[in-house]
Amino acid sequence: MSDHAADDTVPEVDESRRKFLIAATAGTGAVGAVLTAVPFVASWNPSESARAAGLPTEVDLSKIEPGQMATFFWRKQQIYVVKRTPEMLATLSAHDGQLKDAKSEKSDQPVYAKNDQRAIKPEVLVLIGTCTHLGCLPKTRFTPGDASVMANWPGGFFCPCHGSKFDLAGRVFEGSPASVNLKIPPYSFEGDNKLIIGVDAPAKGVA
Amino acid sequence: MTPTKIAIVLGGLALLSGAVSANEGGHAGWQRPAENEISNLPSLQRGARNFMSYCSGCHSLKFVRYSRLAEDLKISDSLRDQYIVKPGDKFSDYIKASMPAADAQEWFGKPPPDLSLVARSRGSDWIFNFLTTFYADPNSRQTGVNNLQLPGTAMPHVLASVQGVQNAVWTAVEHKGEDGKATVAQEFKTFEPGVVGSLDKEQYDEFARDIVNFLQYASDPTQVERQGMGVWVVLFLLMFTGIAYMLKKEYWKDVR
Amino acid sequence: MSATMDKNEGGFRAWLNKRLPVDQFMADQLTGYYAPKNFNIWYFFGSLALLVFVMQIVTGIFVTMHFKAGEATAWNSVQYMVREVPYMWLIQPMHAVGASFFFIVVYLHMARAFMYGSYKGPRELLWVIGMLIYLALMAEAFMGYVLPYGNMSYWGAQVIINLFGTIPGIGPDLVEWIRGDYGIGDATLTRFFSLHVIALPFIIALLVLLHLVALRQVGSNNPDGIEIKENLGADGKPKDGIPFHPYYTLKDIVGVGLFLTLFAIVVFFVPTFGGLFMEAPNFEPANPSSTPEHIAPVWYFTPYYAILRAVPDQKLGALLMALSVAAFLFVPWLDRAKNKSIRYRGLASKLLLAVFFITFLMLMWLGLKPADGIYVLLARIFTVLYFAFFILLPFVSKADGNGPVPDRVTYDAH
Repeated sequence: MSDHAADDTVPEVDESRRKFLIAATAGTGAVGAVLTAVPFVASWNPSESARAAGLPTEVDLSKIEPGQMATFFWRKQQIYVVKRTPEMLATLSAHDGQLKDAKSEKSDQPVYAKNDQRAIKPEVLVLIGTCTHLGCLPKTRFTPGDASVMANWPGGFFCPCHGSKFDLAGRVFEGSPASVNLKIPPYSFEGDNKLIIGVDAPAKGVA
Repeated sequence: MTPTKIAIVLGGLALLSGAVSANEGGHAGWQRPAENEISNLPSLQRGARNFMSYCSGCHSLKFVRYSRLAEDLKISDSLRDQYIVKPGDKFSDYIKASMPAADAQEWFGKPPPDLSLVARSRGSDWIFNFLTTFYADPNSRQTGVNNLQLPGTAMPHVLASVQGVQNAVWTAVEHKGEDGKATVAQEFKTFEPGVVGSLDKEQYDEFARDIVNFLQYASDPTQVERQGMGVWVVLFLLMFTGIAYMLKKEYWKDVR
Repeated sequence: MSATMDKNEGGFRAWLNKRLPVDQFMADQLTGYYAPKNFNIWYFFGSLALLVFVMQIVTGIFVTMHFKAGEATAWNSVQYMVREVPYMWLIQPMHAVGASFFFIVVYLHMARAFMYGSYKGPRELLWVIGMLIYLALMAEAFMGYVLPYGNMSYWGAQVIINLFGTIPGIGPDLVEWIRGDYGIGDATLTRFFSLHVIALPFIIALLVLLHLVALRQVGSNNPDGIEIKENLGADGKPKDGIPFHPYYTLKDIVGVGLFLTLFAIVVFFVPTFGGLFMEAPNFEPANPSSTPEHIAPVWYFTPYYAILRAVPDQKLGALLMALSVAAFLFVPWLDRAKNKSIRYRGLASKLLLAVFFITFLMLMWLGLKPADGIYVLLARIFTVLYFAFFILLPFVSKADGNGPVPDRVTYDAH
């Protein structure tokens, strides 16, 4: 190891001290390397501007007709807001057996939207309009009995990319490539006609 | 030490002293250091409020967001909305000047500059002296005032209600020109109180200092955090170097 | 430091080495490469230069993620990134300060070559490649400084690009071709961006690789300037050599630690370094209607800038400035001493070199000063001294550097 132009006797090499010092140096160096990486990795997090642009979106519900859907942007995602009619709501309970997750156990929604209508107020449905399969925009197919979608179609959403089908609460049907229900963003109401997408409703118990 | 090493050290010292003096610039007798403390939070908060009240009418801080300002200066949401955010602006907006640029151009000849970086381009001392050396000047037709730090400035004395308007006292000083002819120049001697403002001299100095402090923050919002982190980084690196040095010495025992 | 090889590791290592010459490389370039044992402090700067190069690339990659090249967007994008993107307030100054540290390290690295004759045969090509790296680095730094498009970026670019207009005949057309427009603007900025981010780093990386290969080929010089390969031991290795690994790998790590400590002190506490690393006028956006009071390039260019301004004639000044840089290329052949190192040359050589170092530093200082008063006279004096070095070197070295040299290096245990 110590191969050099030595003319004197080679002193004892303290191997254990060397091992210890190598470990100490390497260990400190590794910690330093990780700490150095932190600012670089963290710089990929959303910037101030992204967070400012990600502020809540306000929706005037009086502008949406019953039975119609309007789309909005929140945090760079399409949000579907549907004014559900009583007929639309009636279809929700008739096909639990055909759904993969009728009780929304596995899907991603705020706690106040984990009910049979998947909403705070049954007549207002708020969904993230991204198919839970691979991310396309599901299209509206609100007309019940539309045979082009499937037999006994109750009305809902159909994703053109790979054929996933969702009902009027965004719950996924058996036979769809998607495996979970459509996601629901945080939202709350201010008065009767204002919907705030991006702000959670205060915890008051399930609406 | 070899002659070359000596030469290098001397040259290096000459360079460093030259570098330092290159950046001090000339100091006229009346120029005072700003002496603001960038970590003094109450001062920064007052400065922010003063800026919004007196300066933001014409001067934008186009790279500063209200929300970030309030977060860094620890101003509560309600105080922020009351004293900092302009009516009509969202709390996440950048700070714009109220005066339309076209009008400013017409009234003052050039648009009032954005001040996001003025503390880094001109320096805190410059701003402090600019704010404190306005004086009454009957020859100035447009604004009625002039300024020692920036002679001929188009900016009116916006803070006149606070500082008042002081008078400048000049002395005649004789200079011998290159051709031997004597010329007489007016040199500034001192300020005299003129119109009284709402604050006395010391209070106004602090008022101006707060604004300077705030502008220094605005030009480099993370400087305090940066210096705090720096202490830990340098200590860690010194520790690492020490351990690495011990390792090196251990192995170099082999070399004789 | 032999690793304990368990069966699996032996398996993987064998598998790897059959496909890539990893162990062979380590044996040839690290444990098998013998370097002189008498390296002193001046021998840290090569590895430090490599370190700064890597640091500039890494910080540069991240700065490029947020920088928006374009006349209308550049300035705003820099402010946006340092104020709003997490931690860019640290990474962007690291890049700016790193540029200055690169030149500090490179100048000290070059100074070593002058002191110990590291440019003399058989290392002439090593020196020339190094000079090419230096030239590429200057171009890289110049273009990098233009990118933020502050007022000094704009006016500095204006002055430097206009220099090319002094070339007889093709000058004015060349200037327009470099700019891509009748004045500095979008076209200039976007092409500088491409060159700074991709073209020049690539070229520099290739040159650095060549530089290392050339060094490996001839072996390192040392402070005594004697060739250690001329004195081999019974094992065929130089008597005055020690394996690069572990001795110089470990020593260089200490150098890295010290360097990073200094670097951190500047980045965290004085990133503008009194206006030397980040100049005050560059905290204002580019303004074609308003020239800064003193246009000066960044400190690492000012020696040559001082020479440019010292000459009253514009064309002659530009020519002399170009020559002052080019002169370095010829040093291996201008130096005619037998002995490489300043240690074994006479007083005349030592004086000549000392004056040259002082001259370089003085010109650097003068380049930062306004061109009036006593500074003009001083700049002229030191310009003469600068060129005097290269003119006198052949004569002084021939007369002065031929005495006896020891056949073994001088080494004190440390």
